[in-house]
Amino acid sequence: MREPEGPAAIAGLGMTELGKVFGRSPRRLAADAVRLAVADAGLALADLDGLLVSHGMSGSPGIELAAALGLGDLRLLTQMSALGATAGAMISYAAMSVLSGAAATVACVFADAPLRPERPAGAAYHRDAPEYHGFQGMTAALGFRSVNTFYALAAQRHMARYGTTSEQLGAIAVATRRWAAGNPRAQLRDPITIDDHQRSRWVVEPLHLLDCCLVSNGAIAVVVTGAGRARDLARPPVYIWGWGQGHPGHRRAGGAHDEAGEWGLTTGAVASGQVAMKMAGVTTEDISICQLYDCYTYTVLVSLEDYGFCAKGEGGAFAASGALGPGGALPTNTGGGQLSGYYMWGMTPLSEGVIQARGDGGERQVETNDVILVSGNGGILDHHSTMILSPHPRS
Amino acid sequence: MEIGVVRRDGRGDAFFDGAAADRLVIKRCGGCASWYAPDANECPACGGELGWATASGRATLISWAISHGRPPGDGPVPPPVLALVELREGPWLHSRLIGADRADLREGLPLRAHFEHPEEGESYLVFRPESSGRTDHFSGDRPREEPRS
Repeated sequence: MREPEGPAAIAGLGMTELGKVFGRSPRRLAADAVRLAVADAGLALADLDGLLVSHGMSGSPGIELAAALGLGDLRLLTQMSALGATAGAMISYAAMSVLSGAAATVACVFADAPLRPERPAGAAYHRDAPEYHGFQGMTAALGFRSVNTFYALAAQRHMARYGTTSEQLGAIAVATRRWAAGNPRAQLRDPITIDDHQRSRWVVEPLHLLDCCLVSNGAIAVVVTGAGRARDLARPPVYIWGWGQGHPGHRRAGGAHDEAGEWGLTTGAVASGQVAMKMAGVTTEDISICQLYDCYTYTVLVSLEDYGFCAKGEGGAFAASGALGPGGALPTNTGGGQLSGYYMWGMTPLSEGVIQARGDGGERQVETNDVILVSGNGGILDHHSTMILSPHPRS
Repeated sequence: MEIGVVRRDGRGDAFFDGAAADRLVIKRCGGCASWYAPDANECPACGGELGWATASGRATLISWAISHGRPPGDGPVPPPVLALVELREGPWLHSRLIGADRADLREGLPLRAHFEHPEEGESYLVFRPESSGRTDHFSGDRPREEPRS
């Protein structure tokens, strides 16, 4: 007798080389990752009947990727964009398609190649110009020329309100680097100390260089299918227990809903976490591992608070307690995250969530991996996603 | 970090006309009178058309960041203080603080709009602490004498 189809599961994971990977376009990288994910699942490309393509930086592929892969007779094909929350949005759309019968086997892919051999990594997300145009141009002229400046404002607001310190942010950088040491794919694996963090140059105060993520070229894809089918495939299924999104509409972004003006203090993790954990039937007590979107150390800290792993304002003390690193009570960003591992937007936390759920983490594998929380954060704390994954079917 | 040269783009010209005359001109809804930043396109509250109106120029500090620039840095010049401010009318703007002592920076610090008039390019908007006492360039809303806090 065939087991029930629900819930949906991740059956394949494909990762190209990540980091300073030159000479391949984002579309080529995306195609390579989809092929790898399909092969990992023990499937053929022709078994796909759905393809979801993530928006990335300029040059990211669109729905023409289907033709580049020779895919025909698809039931689901679209490009999706919720910035850093896109991976979560794609997986949930794929899962809903599988559960509804709209499609049976869906590949979800992110690819990007903002790094160029001849320019520094920071230039990919930074704009300097001889002249600036219009009101928004004036803002850039005054110094708001990269996302770093906006996240610095957010981190500073949290620090001023709650007494969060740079050393507490540094504890996140140090713990994440310790995890990266066990990940052969991580771009930065040499150990660092709080002192190294404190002595790293200011990017924008209060953010040091070691508070900020990497920039990477590459692509990652996953294959989502029904749980029953996934059990017949090559790799252990990673069951998708829950998902959620949160888009708070902060006043900073011209939104009308953030009446209290909580930008920088709370994020969409509150709403997306509640929805995803309720759907999964779990609470923070049940979470074994966190894979949090760590474009900055600060986003880890504020996410931990917003999910409810500690009280609001106590994220700094929680991080400094050693809970997040190897051997800690809440293993977090076990592959080195975006800070030390690789920056593939929401596919960074998702891919490590799949690896840990499968028990493929090698020397960094966390023994207790029953419930894994994966987050996504897009814009400047404007868009948020949460997924709950598990190696076990939901009882 | 050097302040770049600012040019008009045809959409925010009323803001720059105001800046040249030391007035803070932002968007306001003709339907419901809600205020918005100069780059807003429509009213999220009622869908109404936005026009231009002169704001008070009063604001409070929400958060700040210090832009040190790349090594060797900006030399002996103090690094600029980037700021997120809330106008008294409600909108949030990203700008710079001038005349602010770092030790005085706090959420809620009263600020006042100030306009710089560079030789090259458009006038631009910065903010200075109310308590710095310098209001000579601002005429949008005549300052009352207020006790220093």
